[in-house]
Amino acid sequence: MQWVKQDLQQYIQAKEYVDTVIIPLIPFQLSQDASIDIGAFQGEVLTIFTKEIEKELTGRVLLVPNYYYLPSEIKDAEVKRLNLWVKEITAQPFKHVFFVTFDAKWKKHEQLLDGTLIWLPGIKTGDIHSQEMRTFVNDQVNQISELIKSYWS
Amino acid sequence: MSEKKQQVSRRQFLNYTLTGVGGFMAAGMLVPMLRMAVDPVLQPSAAGELVNVKIAVDDLTNEPQRVDWKIDQVDAWYESKVDKAAWVYKDDNGDVVALSPICKHLGCFVSWEGSEEFPDQFYCPCHGGRYTKDGVNVPHTPPNAPLDVYETKIKDGMLFLGEAKPQGEA
Repeated sequence: MQWVKQDLQQYIQAKEYVDTVIIPLIPFQLSQDASIDIGAFQGEVLTIFTKEIEKELTGRVLLVPNYYYLPSEIKDAEVKRLNLWVKEITAQPFKHVFFVTFDAKWKKHEQLLDGTLIWLPGIKTGDIHSQEMRTFVNDQVNQISELIKSYWS
Repeated sequence: MSEKKQQVSRRQFLNYTLTGVGGFMAAGMLVPMLRMAVDPVLQPSAAGELVNVKIAVDDLTNEPQRVDWKIDQVDAWYESKVDKAAWVYKDDNGDVVALSPICKHLGCFVSWEGSEEFPDQFYCPCHGGRYTKDGVNVPHTPPNAPLDVYETKIKDGMLFLGEAKPQGEA
């Protein structure tokens, strides 16, 4: 289920069946001209990506809004804020929290996060509408849904 | 000479012109009205259209296989390509059956023989919902309705699929 009215109305009816949350982590910055477009592109891809995962597993997964942060350095404050999100989420009957990101910096802070970090080696360029990108995303989506399913059983 | 030229009298000429112009104006008013009245007929129905899913009917077997295709969908804000999928197979009579892969419980993606414990059934990975091959939900699993069925049509040996409809209605 996505963070939209229709899905959430369904979610409220079926809370006990939805036990998994996906949080996309997307950096946002304007200071480095050289990497603005890469950052935005990765954000686009990750958004598509998480939506596709959600589509496969709609009935048991809630895809929450993207978490944006300044990438210069991931500080404790950021970890703390993200964990606050998790706290808000786990107040509901959620058992599994997954963070999905292209940003390797989170990897270092993995132990501090109250959830499972799925880090994907990033794609820097490419045409988001191309057939190759589709195939690539579909492959990865399949693997990640398998991974998430393995946490369920 | 002038006799010949005056085959059309002034009165006649005016009559013709007025009828012509009047008729033209009336047509100008009537045609849009008519067009509106029959509009629903002329409207290409994007939703009900059957789409070639690029699978030859001869390639289908008794074993459900996944077919993916895309349709154009216009929402209020976006015109987008929407991915569609179906599980397609031939039943015992050789008729083509196309089932929607969307679980009737909470909308996950069911797969054919998705669980080793339940061969010959569709299995939903989210909450263990199951359906028999004809799409009927197995009692005592979460779904409470059979899988939707796509309208099918075969043209020139190719499979065309339309809208998914709840079983019983289709």
